[in-house]
Amino acid sequence: MTSSHDQMAATGKVKRSNDLPQDVERLKEEHRKVVKDCRGQIEHWKKVEKDYESLQDRLRTLPNKLSYDIMVPFGPLAFMPGKLVHTNELTVLLGDNWFAKCSAKQADTLVEHRMKHVKSALDDLQKTVKNFENRADFTDDLEKLTGSTGDFVDIREEVVNEEEVTKGKHRLAHKPNSKPKQEYVLKLKEENGKGEGDKGSKRGVLFEKELWARLDELERQEELQDERYRLDSTDTNGEDTTSSSSEEEKESDSGNSVQVNGHPKENGWVSSSSSSSSQSQMNGTNGSHPEEVEEADCEETSNGLPTIYFSHTVEPKKVRINTGKNTTLKFSERKEQKEQAKRKKKNGKGNGHSPHENYKIISPADIYRVFVDLVNGEPIPRKSILKSRSRENSVCSDTSESSTADFEERRAAFGRSLSHDDATHSDTSDGITEEDSTTGSIPHINERFEAFTGTVIEKDPLPSSIPHLTIAPPALPTIPERKLEEVGTEMPQEPPKRMSKFKTTRLQQK
Amino acid sequence: MAEVIQKKLQSELDKYQQLQKDVNKSMSARQKLEAQLTENNIVKEELNLLDSQNTVYKLIGPVLVKQDLDEAKATVGKRLEYINGEIQRYENLLKDMERKSEQHREVLSSLQQEYQRAQGHPVGKV
Repeated sequence: MTSSHDQMAATGKVKRSNDLPQDVERLKEEHRKVVKDCRGQIEHWKKVEKDYESLQDRLRTLPNKLSYDIMVPFGPLAFMPGKLVHTNELTVLLGDNWFAKCSAKQADTLVEHRMKHVKSALDDLQKTVKNFENRADFTDDLEKLTGSTGDFVDIREEVVNEEEVTKGKHRLAHKPNSKPKQEYVLKLKEENGKGEGDKGSKRGVLFEKELWARLDELERQEELQDERYRLDSTDTNGEDTTSSSSEEEKESDSGNSVQVNGHPKENGWVSSSSSSSSQSQMNGTNGSHPEEVEEADCEETSNGLPTIYFSHTVEPKKVRINTGKNTTLKFSERKEQKEQAKRKKKNGKGNGHSPHENYKIISPADIYRVFVDLVNGEPIPRKSILKSRSRENSVCSDTSESSTADFEERRAAFGRSLSHDDATHSDTSDGITEEDSTTGSIPHINERFEAFTGTVIEKDPLPSSIPHLTIAPPALPTIPERKLEEVGTEMPQEPPKRMSKFKTTRLQQK
Repeated sequence: MAEVIQKKLQSELDKYQQLQKDVNKSMSARQKLEAQLTENNIVKEELNLLDSQNTVYKLIGPVLVKQDLDEAKATVGKRLEYINGEIQRYENLLKDMERKSEQHREVLSSLQQEYQRAQGHPVGKV
């Protein structure tokens, strides 16, 4: 027995190069088995459900009469006429050898309760069936791709509404080629439509070239759109940085080369990266709204190219914000954030308390939620003061590495100044005011390097004698400019020492 | 030399198979416990839907014995705890056995390699 085992092992090692198609076959077999099992179980549970439903019907009609004339089973082979009495008294098996005497209605309630369990089991099974079917499809795709002509995959996105694809303001002035490109899309679609009818592989090659050209153009388009968004965007929410940067890496990794994995979600990712819309990027970066890629089916066209059909789901409107180092974040609308904050806190208070809740700051994210600028009637969130861009106003221009590096040093340096401030304000137990003081004192350093040209709207001019801010509850608390100037004059001496350090580092970097 | 290795291989294989059987047994016992757990949960919920006016019976052998509703609830609760404890125990047992079977697997593979080398087969190292 060991010899055969060894032989198998030896042969297994030898035929490794041919493993792939057989393994894929085996994978498909396993998938199919699971799907069959699930289907069998679904059948079983459906039968149970039907039985329970007929039982419920019987329970509802049973107490209608005091007694029924029936044929009573007498042993396994005979019946005899008899009466069914006590029609409202039922002994119900509750499971695990427990019984209970109940009325018909109570039994009905119990049956309802059991049906709930059955339904949930059915739902779970349906979900697994769908999952495994998708997986089986994707292994099919994988097989076709590895066996098909080269690495060309036709990824198509059927665009229903052109407006939905390109979000944001369409500055056609920057893009004189935008319209022609749309035509190009249509042309290609027509040609591809024709190509499906053809059986020649030559035309397939031509289409591939065109597709690559189109992909390049779309890439350029996307970059231009990115810049446009950067120009439009404003401050950001600090907590999404890590997620966004990781998503950026993911995108750069997958790039434009098509890698079809067996994994459905990643496949959607790949498709999204090669699609033109920057919406896909935004889809990824916001963790609270996970990307929902509708079924990326793969079909084989008759010209030999496997095709992946991809479509976006419509996302709620989001404001794109830029942080330093060329990362972009999304700041969802204030309402959504409020809801999230509420959900996070799991606050049981009623709606009447909501305005106060908005000012309750528990986490740093709450700060960004609460301190919001009102620009042109729209709440635009403030950017983290520790980011490079906060020293500019809402129009972002410089997101270079050096500026961010500089700012980090500044941040480190004036962390010391902050502690000084905190010492003076240590008596304030209110977390809000402390954070106010930090936000109040931080911008003053900006003044040293650049005049603060932020579009801060003064809602409540605070008395200048108070060293720290308090939140007066108007709609939006903002930091008045007067305070900044004042604080700026208070600290003229400390920065010069740090200035030298910054200068040196800046010089070094240059 | 080859026979010695072969014998060692054989014994290791036997031990490994025994371990696998034990793992399977514990696995099936655990699955039974899981089923009992869900069942008892349903019973508990259904008992909560009843009131004290209904009489509760327990089937002990061929006899239906009357029980008090509160007693029944307490009994079912205790049984649930017992089942949970058993599941924990089986979990730990399974983990142990998995670890041991891993070790055995490694030993087996190394012995296999030795054996093949002794036999003079061309070996692609795993």
